[in-house]
Amino acid sequence: MLTFLLRRVAAGLVLLYVLATAAFAMMSLTGTDAVRNISGNTATPAQVAAKTHELGLDRPWISQYGSWLGHAVRGDFGVSWFSGDPVAASLALKVPVTLSVVVAGLILATALSIVLGVAAAVRRGWLDRVVQVLAILGYAVPSFLAALALSVIVAVKLRWLPATGYVPFAVSPSGWFQSITLPAVSLSIGVIAATAQQVRGSAIDVLRQDFVRTLRSRGISERRVLFRHVLRNAAPPALTVLSLQFIGLVGGAVITEKVFGLPGVGSAAVTASTNGDTPLVMGVVVYLVFIVVAVNLLVDVAYGWLNPKVRVR
Amino acid sequence: MRRVGLAGTALVLVSATACSGGAVSGMGDGDGTLTLAVGVTATPWDLASAGLGDYINYYEPVFDSLVRLDRYAEATPNLATSWRYDTSRTVLTMKLRKGVRFTDGTALDAAAVKANLLHTKEGTNEAAGKLRAIRTVDAVNPSTVAIHLSAPDPSLITSLGDPSGMVASPKALDGKKGPVGSGPYVLNKSGTTNGSVYTFTRNRDYWNTKAFPFKKIVIRTISDPTARLNALLGEQVDWARIDPRSASQVKGRGLQVSSHVDAVEGLYIWDRAGKIVPALGKVKVRQALNYAFDRDAIAKKINMGYAFATSQMAIPESGAYEKSLQRTYPYDPGKARKLLAEAGYPHGFTVTMPDVSSVAAGQQAVMTQALEDIGVKVKTKKVPSTELFTSLQRGKYAMSWFKLASYRPWDYISTQLTADGAWNPAKDFDPKLAKLIATARKATGARQNELFKQINRYVQTNAFNAPWDVLDSVHGVSNSIKVTPQPFESAIPIYQMTPAS
Repeated sequence: MLTFLLRRVAAGLVLLYVLATAAFAMMSLTGTDAVRNISGNTATPAQVAAKTHELGLDRPWISQYGSWLGHAVRGDFGVSWFSGDPVAASLALKVPVTLSVVVAGLILATALSIVLGVAAAVRRGWLDRVVQVLAILGYAVPSFLAALALSVIVAVKLRWLPATGYVPFAVSPSGWFQSITLPAVSLSIGVIAATAQQVRGSAIDVLRQDFVRTLRSRGISERRVLFRHVLRNAAPPALTVLSLQFIGLVGGAVITEKVFGLPGVGSAAVTASTNGDTPLVMGVVVYLVFIVVAVNLLVDVAYGWLNPKVRVR
Repeated sequence: MRRVGLAGTALVLVSATACSGGAVSGMGDGDGTLTLAVGVTATPWDLASAGLGDYINYYEPVFDSLVRLDRYAEATPNLATSWRYDTSRTVLTMKLRKGVRFTDGTALDAAAVKANLLHTKEGTNEAAGKLRAIRTVDAVNPSTVAIHLSAPDPSLITSLGDPSGMVASPKALDGKKGPVGSGPYVLNKSGTTNGSVYTFTRNRDYWNTKAFPFKKIVIRTISDPTARLNALLGEQVDWARIDPRSASQVKGRGLQVSSHVDAVEGLYIWDRAGKIVPALGKVKVRQALNYAFDRDAIAKKINMGYAFATSQMAIPESGAYEKSLQRTYPYDPGKARKLLAEAGYPHGFTVTMPDVSSVAAGQQAVMTQALEDIGVKVKTKKVPSTELFTSLQRGKYAMSWFKLASYRPWDYISTQLTADGAWNPAKDFDPKLAKLIATARKATGARQNELFKQINRYVQTNAFNAPWDVLDSVHGVSNSIKVTPQPFESAIPIYQMTPAS
């Protein structure tokens, strides 16, 4: 198991390196005139030239990349060209926002999709049909539309929750919970739809298998059959879908963050890319790849825990 | 098996009731807090990098300015208690308020003002641009500064009411460790998250506390217009810039909508010398373009009535404004085609323009249609919104939709008409106009206004641009505050905001 994990970590590092290089190349290729954007309206050509030199943009691409990489491996991601804030410090403020929303959305989605999926598989009939229709609807509604509708209805009309903004957990746990609820719910809708379908499908498959009939014939309670055996066997495909959805959520959080005015990584990434703020974009890329690699690792470990058959020795 | 279904319902209920838990944290009223939603991300605390427009709100609480602009945008005493120009209008002597200290204990004296003006002037952003005429600054004595100019600058005094004339502690000019000023508030670091929320609490030593009635100022950066609108409608903020199309929704929720003159919108002709598109070098062609637009329809339908049609670059509040120039170019496509034919372009001409749909979709569509109607073939090029301004400033396009803030006469002249103006990308130079400008900048009072009017007329007769309408700056305002907009300022300064009761 340990060798397996080490191999995955090594593969993750290679992936990180390749993607960081690609991202750096893309930032240079976009042709965004970052210096002009930073300097502002009234910069003279001499001031623009001085700024270009200060940022090292007059050096060849490979040398710029080399110096970024040299600092990055030591954990120094530099300072944002626009705000002047250190990238690591500013990500440290933004990552908790995005992770709060995404993880809360995922927890909500996992719980609801298991409940809905299993209920549909076990009960079938009208409940199954309702779940199926809801799943299609949930899948079809874009998350930004759900976000807009939720914020208008729940926040603006009913005033139950704040329409925008983020409250750090350390400042006020209840404020934090309120500020992430709507974004998390709007993010989770699509995930619930996709995963509930998956849970339903695999639960039905498992329920049809011989071992379930055998378990039942031995007089084991239906609840035990369902939660101990059926769910455990039906879980891996659902887990795969969830892990893919999670990675999608980290990217999909961009729009949710915008709609709810959350100062997260997603909205920062969009602004930084359009401005041409290379240090900040690179910081975001590294963080995203890191998350993806970590989630994949966790999923691999969870597979083994759920199902001894796939455990790697 | 029934239990599974029930458990499911229970979980849905739990998550739903969890949502309705506490009350939404109300802002604004009772507790003396003023909360603003600002759409732009703050520029650095270093005043040399300060932007103007909506960026001003970030600087106002901490930094005091040399003069204060009143509701008619006239300069009134603030850190400078009096001032006068010499006869050549190139030396401005200012007497400073005595006994003012920065929040780090440093005295605010002539040396501090000198250090600030010289520092800000070296910057590259908008605040720096307004100090270009400054050659040097003398600290005559601790409470007197003499600002020496390379040439008269009729807008300098009012510019000193903006971040251009704000004063930071000489020990913290670069603002790297946060802003240190002498203004009515100090930045509260524990209530501040860079890039998203800024909290300012009272500076107990401020000399003019009564001009700032709020105990606390909170600025939230919300770039998305929908989120900003929802923050306002959800009563999380007291003030937010809104899209004119949302105004009726804001009024419908019982909130206030404030609007005031903001910018002149239209087709801006950057290539007046015809270097990229030779046709544009001819006056008749540029005049033809002016006849192509149905200005009233644009003001009414695209800008939802938060605009009025105009043919001139000056707004009614400006000293250069002339009522008779308001409707010089009525909508007349026939006349436009005739003028094009007279200029030697009976079949029109082809022009490449940046597609501004990302910032002004309606305007782009109307403009393309109107130009095609008079025979001008428009090729559009996609430009990301963040690249738009820089590509225009680099002179890549012969003409485009644009809007310029409703400047004072001299600000407009130095922005678009002088050879080094930020919005004269082709560096176009017109000797006759240059002579008029040189005379106007040295003149004073009524004589100066007369010359500004002449320049305005010259610009319009020669069809430097094809202005369509004067746009309003539209704001949604909560019922707990009152706002007083100020001419020539797109945002509303915080000292023009007061509690409603």
